[in-house]
Amino acid sequence: MSGDQPPPVSAKEADARAAVDVKALHAAGRLEAARERYAELVTRHQRRAVRIAFHYLRDAADADEAVQDAFVKAYLHIGTFREELPFEVWFTRILINGCLDRLKARRRREKWLAPATTDAMGVERSPADFLPSRGPSPEDQVLSEERRRQLGAALSQLPERQRLVFMLSHFEGRSSREVSAMTGLNESTVRVHLFRAIRRLRALLASGAAGESGSRRISRAAH
Amino acid sequence: MRLIDGLLRRGHLSERALVDALLSGERPAHLDRCDICADRAVDLGRWLDDLKTAGIEAADAAFSTERLAMQQTQILRRLEQLDQPARVIAFPTQARLGQRDPNDRRVAPAWLGVAAAAGLVLGLVGGQVTARIGSRPVVVPAPATVQALLDDGQPSSTVRLAQPDLDLDLEGLNIPALDAVDGITPKFTTVALTRVGR
Repeated sequence: MSGDQPPPVSAKEADARAAVDVKALHAAGRLEAARERYAELVTRHQRRAVRIAFHYLRDAADADEAVQDAFVKAYLHIGTFREELPFEVWFTRILINGCLDRLKARRRREKWLAPATTDAMGVERSPADFLPSRGPSPEDQVLSEERRRQLGAALSQLPERQRLVFMLSHFEGRSSREVSAMTGLNESTVRVHLFRAIRRLRALLASGAAGESGSRRISRAAH
Repeated sequence: MRLIDGLLRRGHLSERALVDALLSGERPAHLDRCDICADRAVDLGRWLDDLKTAGIEAADAAFSTERLAMQQTQILRRLEQLDQPARVIAFPTQARLGQRDPNDRRVAPAWLGVAAAAGLVLGLVGGQVTARIGSRPVVVPAPATVQALLDDGQPSSTVRLAQPDLDLDLEGLNIPALDAVDGITPKFTTVALTRVGR
């Protein structure tokens, strides 16, 4: 009977059900089944987690490890998960705390170590930038690469909190309330950070674009 | 509209108001009346969209589908390792300590010290006593130096011998078969006394 079909489940509900199942299976000692169910959660949230970690840490290898650690930590502490809170918010908070710890560790490390790899032009690049990529035409690739580079440079100049709030609000499309729950910041603080981040990004990207067009003009005049 | 917008921006919306409007999705009524602000809102919206696209592209370029699959495999492998019961291999010394019977009598460390001190005192006293007994004065005449000249004409050798030992040896040996040899061999005592007499 078509009337007996269950109503479509939203992503949040599906997450909550999966998390509760993992919790119950783990408590019952059915570890393999718990891992299988948890794998569904990993699949659903992995891409989003990787984007957050990548923009927050500005380093692909660090982001990779941070995401792995966050999923492992969430699994280990699944017993403390409360159904009232969406899994996404709970997990993102774990991820952000992990990223924050990594940033602190990086700052301590950078006091002692030499800077990361540089390309042929002497520009500092992350190891991920050296990986081969597939996709659009070389021209498009160059343009989008340039745009990404500009954005990356501008984002890296934002203070950490502004960057995090901007990323969660804008890239991930979260509301101020959700960002507040994920970061532990006040809702009004979230809005202030967001506005400041946008204003600063506009200024940075505008000055970068102006600087580049200016330098192009100069180089054309020289030719 | 806020008062400050009316005073400073000639009634136009501030950038913050535009950002709030765009991100919250609540369109202010002013945008319907003011073309300038509507254009600004559209520009800002486009710029934010471009930024979002570029940001997502940047992250997705760094993490390909293959890399994500590999990451997931690693996560699940780590979880599997966590779920396996930990094998604790006891350190040998610890294991031996663990097998100790709690009723076993143990010697208090203080007694060990006392025993060591007593051993030391006994050793010293015993050593002293032994030394005194061993060094009792024995009347030993001055060692005689005998230059025995052998029949085969070998170079002379100086032999230091104690007289009592020699006498003892001579008295102890009485073999009838060697009496003839003994008869022709000069007695050491005789030789020594003759030399001393000179």
